[in-house]
Amino acid sequence: MSRQSSLCVVKLAGELDIGQREAVAAALQLDDGDGPVLVDLGEVVYADSTVIGQLLRFRNEAEARGRRIALLIGSPQFARVLQYAGLADAFAVFDNRAAALTFLAGQRP
Amino acid sequence: MTAGAELRLARTADVHAPRPIRNALAAFLAALDLEQVVREDILVAVGEALANSVEHAYLDDPGTVELHARAEDATTLMIDVLDRGHFHDRELTPGRGLGLRIVRAIARKVHVDTDGGTRISMIFDAAVPPG
Repeated sequence: MSRQSSLCVVKLAGELDIGQREAVAAALQLDDGDGPVLVDLGEVVYADSTVIGQLLRFRNEAEARGRRIALLIGSPQFARVLQYAGLADAFAVFDNRAAALTFLAGQRP
Repeated sequence: MTAGAELRLARTADVHAPRPIRNALAAFLAALDLEQVVREDILVAVGEALANSVEHAYLDDPGTVELHARAEDATTLMIDVLDRGHFHDRELTPGRGLGLRIVRAIARKVHVDTDGGTRISMIFDAAVPPG
């Protein structure tokens, strides 16, 4: 039997642009655990490249600690912005929570 | 879309400026009866230009950021974002090169003029698909 590492969930919502840069940075913090990380952006209605850059750094930090990370994105617009930035494949992106959790558990969604 | 419709805005160039400018532009675009996806993408591109301006134009001396939007004809929307500060291409800064990449992916044409400030001129296709 293996221990189930606890899930780290970071939730952001609303319009995230350069004006929210410090608040987003404060929210994007890893806990002290070693479990997978879910960034819940399901209620984000707008995000600019400032936030995408912060998400990239957070992903790098998580992966450097060997932690699997996924983004839950509800807005088609946000998904398009990742494509426009050339980063559609830079994150594990899901539009429903169950698929994201399956991925984070190490199984194919 | 109504040719000749125009929106001109100016605000103090701080990090809180982009949101109200985007909101005003959103209302302007809604009045032009553009498709939702087109409106959203234009707001994203303009938002990136605004962010670029307020982040780097006036590092020492606060100035203004301006937006000029004009429906050139039934299918073409021209939007300029301008300041009189110092241009700083975020593409030259590691990890900060995403903004103009996004603008170029959305706009039909982009021109950046850095003479005496920065003017990012964007031309968007604004046609509503048939049907």
